[in-house]
Amino acid sequence: MAIKIALAGNPNSGKTTLFNGLTGSNQFVGNWPGVTVEKKEGKLKGHKDVVIMDLPGIYSLSPYTLEEVVARNYLITERPDVILNIVDGTNLERNLYLSTQLMELGIPVVMAINMMDIVEKNGDHIDINQLRKDLGCEIVEISALKGTGIMKAAEKAVSVATRNTSAPVHKFSPELENILEDIENMLDAAIPEEQKRFYAIKLFERDDKIAQTMKVVPKVEDMIKKAENALDDDSESIITNERYGYITSVIGKSYKRSARGQLSISDKIDRIVTNRILALPIFAVVMFIVYYVSVTTVGTIVTDWTNDVLFGEIIPPAIENILVSINCAAWLQSLILDGIVAGVGAVIGFVPQMLVLFVFLAFLEACGYMARVAFIMDRIFRKFGLSGKSFIPMLIGSGCGVPGVMASRTIENDRDRKMTIMTTTFIPCGAKLPIIALIAGAFFDGSAWVATSAYFVGVAAIVCSGIILKKTKMFAGEPAPFVMELPAYHMPTVTNVLRSMWERGWSFIKKAGTIILLSTIVLWFLMSFGWADGSFGMLEAEQLDNSILASVGSVIAPLFTPLGWGDWKMAVAAVTGLIAKENVVGTFGILFGFAEVAEDGAEIWGQLAGSMTGVAAYSFLIFNLLCAPCFAAIGAIKREMNSGKWTWFAIGYQTILAYAVSLCVYQIGTAITGGGFGIGTVVAVLVVIGFLYLLFHPYKESTKLTVNVKKTAKA
Amino acid sequence: MMPLTMAKAGEENTIIKIGGKEEARRFLKSLGFVAGSIVSVVSEMNGNVIVNVKGSRVAISREMANKIMV
Repeated sequence: MAIKIALAGNPNSGKTTLFNGLTGSNQFVGNWPGVTVEKKEGKLKGHKDVVIMDLPGIYSLSPYTLEEVVARNYLITERPDVILNIVDGTNLERNLYLSTQLMELGIPVVMAINMMDIVEKNGDHIDINQLRKDLGCEIVEISALKGTGIMKAAEKAVSVATRNTSAPVHKFSPELENILEDIENMLDAAIPEEQKRFYAIKLFERDDKIAQTMKVVPKVEDMIKKAENALDDDSESIITNERYGYITSVIGKSYKRSARGQLSISDKIDRIVTNRILALPIFAVVMFIVYYVSVTTVGTIVTDWTNDVLFGEIIPPAIENILVSINCAAWLQSLILDGIVAGVGAVIGFVPQMLVLFVFLAFLEACGYMARVAFIMDRIFRKFGLSGKSFIPMLIGSGCGVPGVMASRTIENDRDRKMTIMTTTFIPCGAKLPIIALIAGAFFDGSAWVATSAYFVGVAAIVCSGIILKKTKMFAGEPAPFVMELPAYHMPTVTNVLRSMWERGWSFIKKAGTIILLSTIVLWFLMSFGWADGSFGMLEAEQLDNSILASVGSVIAPLFTPLGWGDWKMAVAAVTGLIAKENVVGTFGILFGFAEVAEDGAEIWGQLAGSMTGVAAYSFLIFNLLCAPCFAAIGAIKREMNSGKWTWFAIGYQTILAYAVSLCVYQIGTAITGGGFGIGTVVAVLVVIGFLYLLFHPYKESTKLTVNVKKTAKA
Repeated sequence: MMPLTMAKAGEENTIIKIGGKEEARRFLKSLGFVAGSIVSVVSEMNGNVIVNVKGSRVAISREMANKIMV
């Protein structure tokens, strides 16, 4: 019989480190059914029949956050054999709040107290034997970071599970105990004895979600009202206070604090890092170092190597030799070399640069600075309707939109999260940089303001979208108040940083292996086949004008004429940008008759510059920066939105915004540069006026709503 | 009685009352913000505060900190 261990604990308690330590690479990662909360399952090292389920990090078992609901549904319905509760020893009081709730479930609990080494170093002391006696459960001291004691904790859990004894339960004050006992006696007999206390407490707290799962719900409202009057508090607060009261009494006996009131190292760092004056400059310096190293120095060196050497001199000739030696058909050679290797290679070339960036971000996250960044940025982001937590997805999104969108999970508030998902991909990701380089090089003498303005346009799109969307019915209301636990600063382990880097990088590599692979094949086919000389067949490179792609491009091209780039080549390039943004440059290269172009497309600058005006080129750039992201990022948006409707809304919004902005840039830009005043200019001016209205009109919906509420209240 | 935003950095205060929306109040409770808990402000930034409560460090925006009375 397999034993199921559920791993439960507070966020930042070292739960993930413990889980990785117990299971090694033997993990299966997925989502909990119906929600975008990550579900991790693994087998205990050296025990094939022991399954460990990593529950989301939670502070309590109340029904108010998605994570809590997921965790407690699992515990109630799946009933694991034992709960391994990881507890942060430096923060015992708060952590025990969850522990006392876990013990009420009637499932054996083994407590693993983490960071005992730090507790000792602080000069504090936890009397484990006393704590064990008072809490009535097995306790093991561990250090998840160093890996000490973790196997002992797991083995203890296994032995407790096989013995199958329920955890004894703590007692509250006599008044409350009497009421709980009365409720327990009224419960349906179908509920097992050991779970009765949990149900009684939840009924007392008026927890609807639990009541809904019960076949028979006893009528307890009168009893609750009586108790509330007697104790002069609402029932939920009564339980909360009793719980903390109980914990304080337990800790009073077993926890010896030596240096009270003294500032810890983390506090001292916070004094400086989150200082009113220094916070933003320090943050700017940190970000500058991260980007300087990962984009310009180390990143460029490794990226150049993969692009020029690995995918330039090593792999293609090697594959070509093999294909020639086995007498491969010409069309298949073309497919493999020009289609797959060139297409996927272009994408893989970004991986090293991205991995360097992700190492930095993983380090900043693991050491605790990221949480402070959210705090520092909150004041600024609040001004346009986003929360400080939206900043982290956008930061990661500057590397790649896929992990960026995925990072939005940490935002609990549904509205804030949806808005972050919709706006994160406005920030130019690594794959959009080649487009910027191409346009800057071909039209603006490589001027630096093009790249700077691209980031500025991205940020402006986020700010304006925040303000506009907040005024719609869907997003109306204040952003959720910012409350976030800040973990203590600590040096992360190398394995943890690398693991986090790899998880993010892998989601990008997977995209290269699946969606991009498939789409490069399709694109290659559309480009290489067509009607020439009166029959359908494979084309020579110079017959591109006859390809299927050209026909498709000519159909959609008129759509983009008002934006200034109605040529089919531009239209096709923009469409291939959906597959992967860096494809835009490659597509131009192929369309202008070069088999291979440098990352910034230097070979085609001349031809490109001749085919449209500078204003049109800038409009093309803006459209590509803001419109729907690549397929992989759209996939990530779909996963995180968990709704097809919202995904379409997000993509639709992005594309319409991109179209409107590009239209204005081209039409008004052309008028200013002397291109004359026409119907297009009028439309553009109207769009600008409409945009300004959306930006500055008062919050109509919400005021109406409050007025109505007040009226009904009076009536 | 004063809102937490007014408390001086480094000073220990006892929570008297927590106001605000039900949802946010519940979350604060599970983080250790209950009447009687001792809080001390570690750092303050335009009204946003970082406080120590029950041994953990929590960042709170000005809107929320204004509703915690000490």
